Amino acid sequence: MTTLIIGYGSPIRGDDAVGPLLADRIAGRIEQGAWPAGTEVQARHILTAELVEDLHRAARVVFIDAAAGGTPGEIRTRRVQPDPGAPSTMAHFHDPRELLAWCEGLYGAAPEAWLVTVSGAAWDYGHFDLSPTVQAVLPAALEVLADLCVHEAAAIDT
Amino acid sequence: MSRTISIEPVTRIEGHARITLQLADTGEVEDAKFHLTQFRGFEKFCEGRPYREMPALTARTCGICPVSHLLASNKACDDLLAVTIPPTAEKLRRIMNLAQLLQSHALSFFHLSSPDLLLGWDSDPAQRNIFGVMRADPQLAKNGIRLRQIGQTIIETLGGKKIHPTWVVPGGVNEPLTAEKRDAMLAMLPEALTIAKDTYAFYKTLVPKFQDEASHFGTMKTLFLSLVSPDGHLEHCNGYLRIKDAEGRIVEDMVPPGEYPRLIGEAVEDFSYMKFPYYKPLGYPKGIYRVGPLARLNNADACGTPYADVALAEFHTLQEDSGPIASSFHYHYARLVEIIYAIESMQRLLKAPSILDTRVRARARGNKSEGIGVSEAPRGTLMHHYKIDDEGLITWVNLIIATGHNNLAMNRSIKQVADAYVDGTDVKEGMLNRVEAVIRCYDPCLSCASHAFGQMPMVVEIANAAGEVVRRIARG
Repeated sequence: MTTLIIGYGSPIRGDDAVGPLLADRIAGRIEQGAWPAGTEVQARHILTAELVEDLHRAARVVFIDAAAGGTPGEIRTRRVQPDPGAPSTMAHFHDPRELLAWCEGLYGAAPEAWLVTVSGAAWDYGHFDLSPTVQAVLPAALEVLADLCVHEAAAIDT
Repeated sequence: MSRTISIEPVTRIEGHARITLQLADTGEVEDAKFHLTQFRGFEKFCEGRPYREMPALTARTCGICPVSHLLASNKACDDLLAVTIPPTAEKLRRIMNLAQLLQSHALSFFHLSSPDLLLGWDSDPAQRNIFGVMRADPQLAKNGIRLRQIGQTIIETLGGKKIHPTWVVPGGVNEPLTAEKRDAMLAMLPEALTIAKDTYAFYKTLVPKFQDEASHFGTMKTLFLSLVSPDGHLEHCNGYLRIKDAEGRIVEDMVPPGEYPRLIGEAVEDFSYMKFPYYKPLGYPKGIYRVGPLARLNNADACGTPYADVALAEFHTLQEDSGPIASSFHYHYARLVEIIYAIESMQRLLKAPSILDTRVRARARGNKSEGIGVSEAPRGTLMHHYKIDDEGLITWVNLIIATGHNNLAMNRSIKQVADAYVDGTDVKEGMLNRVEAVIRCYDPCLSCASHAFGQMPMVVEIANAAGEVVRRIARG
C-alpha cells in the first residue's frame, strides 16, 4: 500500500457523511481499476485507536472530513503533522494529528499526511442525504483526492 | 473556612462529568459527589418511533458500546415478536458481544487506566498519558491497539462495519456466517490469546504494588448484580439475573430478565443527570449494588473456559476472606480475566459445527405490547424495556445502563478515596488523580448513562462551607 485514504463522519448527520461517502466512491473506482494503483480506502464513522496499525503500513495517508467552517462546498487540502496535544476525546474518537502522533510514538515514524475537508451546510440528525451544495462538489473532491494519490508531497498546502 | 474541590473534566473516561469535594474547616472531606453534567433524553425522543427502529436508534446512544445497545434492543424486540431466535443466530450474536467486550476492555485497560498503573498516580501529569505509556512500555501500548483491532475486526466481519453495525436484527441476524469469514476470525484469535495471557501475567506482578489503592478504591460492602447462565457460569448474552450480597450469599437467583422491575428501582438526585438504581427490597440507598466485570466474576460459579477459570481462581485470592472481592480497584483485574474468557469463548463458538447454519432469523410481527431485553455490556448489565401500541409504535421506553447501576457505588467510592488521600490543607494533583482514578476503575460510559451526546472530559471542584468554589481542575 502506498496511499491510505480514510473518509470519516456520521452517515446520519447530513453533510457530515461526505468523508465516508467519498471513501465509498473511491472504493468503487478502485474496483473498476479507475483509480491510481497502490491505494487502499476505508470509510469510518470516527477515527479510532486501532487505525494506527494501518497508518503505520502506509507511505501516505489522506483523511477526508466534513468541515463546519468555510463556505459550503469549499474543498480544502492541507498537510497535517503529528501532534500529541491535538484535541481528542481519547475513547470515542481521535483527531488525525493525534493518531499520527500515536503512530510516531509507537513505530518511530508517521506517514506523510493530508486532510481534505469539504465545508458542509446541513448537519441535522437523522438525515441520510448530502445538501445539494455538497453533493455538487463531489466530482471536484474526487479529482483533488486522485491528484493526492498520484503526485508527490510537494504540491499541496492550499 | 471550609472549601470545595472541583475536578472537571474528569479525564480518561467516556463522557462529561464533574466531581466535587466539600471540605470542612479542618481540611477533612465532608462530602463527595459525582455529577453527570450532560443530558440527552433518549427515552423520551424514541416515543412514537416504530419498534423496529429501536436497535438502530439506541445504538446511537454511544460510539463505544453500540453493539451492546444493539443486542439489548434486539432482545427487547425479540420479546415483542414473542420469538425464540435460532440457535446459530444466538451463537453469532454472542460472538459479536464478546468481540465488543474484548475491544472495550482493551481500551479501558491499555489506554485509559495503564497510565496510572504503569507510571503511577503521583507521576508528572504531563507524562501520565498514553504517550507516556508508549515511552515506558511501547509493546504494552501496541498490544492494546492490537487487541482492540482484533475485536473491532470481528465486529466488522460479522456486522459489515465496526461502529453501528446493523447485522443484528429482531429475530436473529440478517445474514449467516460464511466459512471464509469464520476462518479469518479464528486465525486472529491465537495471537489475541497470547497477548491477553501475557498482559494478565504482567498485571499480576503489578498488583502487589497497589495494596494501598486496593484498600481504598471503592472497598465496600455492596450487592453484586449480573446475568449468569442456567448452570451459574459467567454469562454476557442470555441467562438469568443473580444478586449476591457482600458476604457471598445469593439473595436472588435464576430471575428471568423480564422480572427486573421487581428487583430494581431508580432514584433521582438533584446533582446529576444519571439515575440512581437500587435493589428494591432494601430500598434507597441501602440497596446499593455493583455491576460489570467485578460483579460478573463475583457472581459466577465458573467461567467455563480453561484459562479463564484458572484466572478466576486467582482472582478470588485477591483478598483473604472467601467472600466476593470487595475492592472496585480490582475491576482492572476482572477486565483482564474477561478478555481471556472472551477470546476462549469466541474460539469455542466459531469452531462449533452449527456456526455456519443458514437458519439465522425468526420472522414475526409484533405479538406483545411490552418487551424487555437484558444483556451484559462491557461495563455491566444493560436493560432495554419498551412498550408499543397496536401500530407497533413506541409508547414508553426505559433504559437502565451499566454505568447507571454503578452510580451509587461510584459516589461512595470517591468519598472513600477522598477521605484516604485528600488533605484539604495541602491539595496535591496526585491526590485528585486518585479521586479520578477510582471512577476509571468502573470504566463509566457517561454518554450511555445519560444517553447523552458530546465531548468526553471531566472536572474536579473544591468548595468551601459557603458553597463557593475555591479550586477547580479542568482537563481533557
